[in-house]
Order: sequence, then structure tokens, then C-alpha cells
Amino acid sequence: MLSVSLGATKYGWLRGLLLALAIAPSAFAQGQTQAQTATQTEAQLQGPPLGQVDPNSPDVILPAVTAVPVFSMGVGMITAWQGGQPNLEPLISPVGLIPIGQKWLVEGRGTFESDLIPDPNGTGWKGYLEKEADYVQVDYIANKYVTLSFGRYLTPFGIFNERLYPIWIRNLQSDPLILPISTGPSGAGTGAMLRGGFNVTPKAELNYATYFSTKLTTNPFDSDRDWGMRAGIYLPGPRVEFGGSFQHLLQTDHSNAFGFHFAWQPPPLPLDIRAEYARSSNGSGYWVEGAYRLGQAPVWKDELRHVQVVGRMQEYYVGKFEDEDDDLPMVNTKLFEFGLNYYFRDDIRFVSSYGRQFAAGGGNANVWTVGVTYRLAVPVGHGDAR
Amino acid sequence: MNVGRAMSIGIFALGCLPFLLGRATAAQQPGGRVGAQESAQQKLLEEGEKRFHANCGRCHQSPHKFPPRMVMTIERHMRVRATLTDEDMRAIVAYLTQ
Repeated sequence: MLSVSLGATKYGWLRGLLLALAIAPSAFAQGQTQAQTATQTEAQLQGPPLGQVDPNSPDVILPAVTAVPVFSMGVGMITAWQGGQPNLEPLISPVGLIPIGQKWLVEGRGTFESDLIPDPNGTGWKGYLEKEADYVQVDYIANKYVTLSFGRYLTPFGIFNERLYPIWIRNLQSDPLILPISTGPSGAGTGAMLRGGFNVTPKAELNYATYFSTKLTTNPFDSDRDWGMRAGIYLPGPRVEFGGSFQHLLQTDHSNAFGFHFAWQPPPLPLDIRAEYARSSNGSGYWVEGAYRLGQAPVWKDELRHVQVVGRMQEYYVGKFEDEDDDLPMVNTKLFEFGLNYYFRDDIRFVSSYGRQFAAGGGNANVWTVGVTYRLAVPVGHGDAR
Repeated sequence: MNVGRAMSIGIFALGCLPFLLGRATAAQQPGGRVGAQESAQQKLLEEGEKRFHANCGRCHQSPHKFPPRMVMTIERHMRVRATLTDEDMRAIVAYLTQ
């Protein structure tokens, strides 16, 4: 409008200037807006830099996805022979995970297991159903260093009880002899726990857990009164972890227990090496296990990559204080086991093992196991897209 | 040529320079940023695969693909159970879902 009223010749340059000034800011702003949009898109996809975020909020990672409850279940049908005596051990272990908000998780796992032996008075099998609440806990992820857990939790002593116990994870179906040391027959405590894992250097991670448990005698929630802690260092490069555990019993003989654990997965090889040592007033012992997937075999590669061979050596020495309820061997015992597993898929496998037990007082025996394990996991609900 | 007209054209061109530069920058940036974006994303996925094998692979077999809404829950569970770090969790979720 202004340019129209100006003279076409005399003020032509002024008209051009005004026109340019009128156009340029909006055009420049448009360019800036597009650049900002590209930056925002990148930030959304890439997320904040590693180590500088609060990933307690999963939304940081997948803004459009809401965590949903998950139902999972492990199923096993194991047959074991110890000294010629057969045992049928069908097992179902349901797991429930219920996320609440962005920092809470309610989780639980139960075990229903039968131990069936041939009926001496008939042709069938007889036994009983054993029910166990492995853990039922509420987790609160406070920050990147601390997670609080309340309820019934798996006792974090060593690595087997918490990480390797489920039948769909363990390489050999029999428990290590020293497992009941500090975890008790139920493997769980009832109370509160603080735990976490974080990088102490770019090449080392520290993980810890400290807990207090109260005494409960109600089956299947029984637990001891104790407190304890576990700490470990994990080196992701060489995939080596080592650490130690300590527990002080606040009942009966008020004894201390301690242990060490070690795990190594050399990166170029499909090999797992794990070991634990534990000592308490009840006894002491160790186990060392190696498991190797034949993925690097020069022949029959497609078949042999499903095959895993396992070897485990363990020893247990009886201590001064004997507790008949702790499921530990009553005499000094050595046990060597060799296992052969076949993975049909990552969730179905055939398992088998042979072991030779040497126990003081003439308790030598062959130990065989054969079985199948299966694991399923399904979402419960569709989640919300925000 | 009329001096006034020449000045008018010159100033108009000068005034439009930011517009042209803005367009050029906007046209250039997406390509560059997309490249950097893909590179960063690729790096995150590679890191996720590495961390999956270093952490999850210690007890579990090779990746079983789950829907992202399940992965978000399972990772929260494994963060508690296997004491995964923040960095592990982010990278592994990215690897398992993308």
C-alpha cells in the first residue's frame, strides 16, 4: 500500500528496500523454523546422550509406547534318577510384571512343582504338590543409582539364586549344593532392599544390593531374619564380573556368612564360565561351571549351533552348626556333572545331564536328568499411544 | 540504466539475501541432519546389540523379538533383576524395538 503512493521513479530504490525488508524476515523465519523442526526430530529419535538422561522414564526412549503388564511362564518336565530312584518333576512357574507409571513395577513369581516317585503299593506314581511364592515385590526406581524394593524378594547372595535359578535359564537342572547357604530353603527374604547398577568408569560397572529381612514362618512365605549385602564389578569389554556377598543372621546362632562369585563370557566364544564360593557356620563349598555352545563347529554347523555342552564341579563341606531344615547335604559331598542341551528355539530346549556324586559315608550315586523346558511371555493389554 | 532502478534492484537483491540463505540453509540442513541422525541411530543400535550380548546374553539366548510395549516392561524388570545401568537400558531398548 505504501509503495503504491510513492513515485515509481524517484523512490523506486526505497520501494525495493521496503519490499525486501517486508519479505526477508518471514522467509528467514521460515528457514529457521524448518531447521528447528529438523533439530527437534533428531532429538526425539536420538534421545539425550548416554549417561545424561533419566531413563527411569521409558518415555524418553519410546515416546509413543506405554509399558503394559506382562504375563510370563516357565514350564518344565524333568525326570531325574538318583542312585537308580526315579523322580518325576513337572513344574510350572508363572511370572507377572505390572508397570505402574514410569517408576514403579509390581512383580511376582510363583512355583508349582510336584515331586513324584513310584508308588511302592501300586503301579502309578505318588507325590505332593509344592507351592512356593518365589518373590512378590514392589520396585520403585528412585534414580539411576538406587532402586527400592519392598515385599518378598529373592535373597541377593551370590549370583545363582537371583539370576540363574529359573529352569529356563539354568544350564543344569540340579541346584548347586551350596545354594541354601544364606538363601535358605525358600531362597527369599521378606522386607526391604536397596539396589542399583551404574558406571563407575566408562569400562566398569558397579552393582550392589543391600537388604533387611524379617522372620516369617508361614508357608509359602517363610524367611529368615537377617541383613546382608552384595556388590560386584562388571567389565563389559571382557565380559567379566566378580564380586562378593555378606549376610548376618539375626536369629538362632547370629552367624555371619560370606561368598564370592565370578562370571566370564569371553566375547569371541559362545562360552559361559561361572563360579561361586560360599561359607557359613552351616558349611562351605564352591561350584565351577562351564557351558559351551557348539556354534563354531567346523561341521554340521546348522545343527550343532543348537547344542550346548555343560560341565560343573562342586564340593560341599559340612560346618559346625547343622540345621536340618536348610536343605544342605548332611555329609561332605563332591559332585561332577556333565550336561547336554539342545535348543529347538530360544524358548524351548531339551535338557539332559549325567553326574557322579561322591558323598562321605557311602553316599556315592549316579545322578541323571532328562527333560524339556519352555518359556512363554505375552503382553496383557495393548497400551496407549500418546 | 536508471540509477534509481539499479539501486532498487540491488537493494531488493540484498534484502532478499537472508531469504535465499535461509532457504538454502533449510534445504541443506535436513540432508545433513538426516545423515547425522541416521548415523547416531545406527550407533545407538550397535551399542544396544553390544550391550544386549554383554548383559542379557549372559543368561538368555539370542534376541527374542517382543512388541515394544512388552520390551518397556521387561527392561524395567531386568533393570531390577540384573541391575542394568541407565545406559544399558536405553541402548538395549533401542536395539530390541527398532
